[in-house]
Amino acid sequence: MSTVSVRYIVIDVDAAVAFYCQHLGFREEMHPAPSFAMLSRGDLRLVLVSPVGADQRGGGSRPMPDGRKQEPGGWNRFMLEVGDLAGTVDALREKGVHFRNDIVTGVGGRQILLDDPSGNPVELFEPTRPEARLASR
Amino acid sequence: MTPDALDALRLPIVPVVPRQEFAAALLRRIEERAGPVVRQTATVRYFVTDLDAAVAFYCRNLDFDEELRPSPVFAMLYRGDLRLLLSVPGGQGGAHTLPDGTVPEPGGWNRISLEVADLVATVDALRERRVRFRTDVVTGVGVRQILLEDPSGNLVELFEPRAGYHERPRG
Repeated sequence: MSTVSVRYIVIDVDAAVAFYCQHLGFREEMHPAPSFAMLSRGDLRLVLVSPVGADQRGGGSRPMPDGRKQEPGGWNRFMLEVGDLAGTVDALREKGVHFRNDIVTGVGGRQILLDDPSGNPVELFEPTRPEARLASR
Repeated sequence: MTPDALDALRLPIVPVVPRQEFAAALLRRIEERAGPVVRQTATVRYFVTDLDAAVAFYCRNLDFDEELRPSPVFAMLYRGDLRLLLSVPGGQGGAHTLPDGTVPEPGGWNRISLEVADLVATVDALRERRVRFRTDVVTGVGVRQILLEDPSGNLVELFEPRAGYHERPRG
C-alpha cells in the first residue's frame, strides 16, 4: 500500500508514455490497452488514461453520471525533484518541452511548470532548504 | 625434475566456464541498484481556496497527518509515502501565478489515487461524514473505484484492487 498513485487524463496515451519515459525518467510498467498505461518513477506510480465512453472498459476515465467528460489540464500536479533545475530546464527546452512559466523562487525551493503533450502540468523542483527535500521522512 | 614443495599448498586449477544465468542475475542486481537509487517521497501539489478546511478534510477523512503549516497559504501533509502540498492560489508572493497573470485554481480531473481495503465500507463511512462523491462505485479492469471531492472541488480517487490488479513487487 505504500506506492503512491496519481492518475492523469491524457488525449493520446502513446504520446504521453513516450514523453514521460523519454524526458522525465519514468519507466513503462504496462500498456495493456490504447486508453491505459501505468508508469513508475521511484515510489510514484503514474496512471495515464484517455477518456472512454460510459459503456467501455477503463473505469477510471468514463464520463460522470451527469455526463461530464474527464479531460486533461488543471493546476494540480505531481512534483519531481531535480538537482540542477536550470540545467534540467535547458536540456528539456532543447528537446522541445513546453514550459508554462520561467523558474520562480518560492519559500522552500525554486520551481518551474512544464506541460505534457496533453497540457497536464508537472512541477520540477530544486529545494533550497533541507526540509523541502523529497527524501523520506 | 625436483617437485616443488609448495605444490601441495596450491589450489587445484579448475577451468571456469562462464555461466550465463549467473551473469544475468548479477546484471539484474546491478541494474536494480543503479535504478531507483534515490528514494524520493512522491509529492503532489493541490490548490485549495480554504487551507484550514482542506487540512481538516484530508486529516479527518483520509488519514493524512499534518507535517507543516508555516503560513496561511501553505500546508504539507503526509499519508504513507505520499506528501501532499496544499497551496492557496496567489499566495507565497505569487510564486504560482504565471507571468501572464494567470492564477492557478483548484479542480480538474487529475488526481491522487488512494488504496483502501474495503471500498464500500469506506464510502459508507465517508458519506455519513457528508463527504461529496462525484460518482458511485465504478468497476474497472483492475480495481473498483470512486471519485470524491475535497472542499475546494479537487478530486481524490479511492480504489480497491480486484483480481488481476498489478502491483510491482517491492525490493
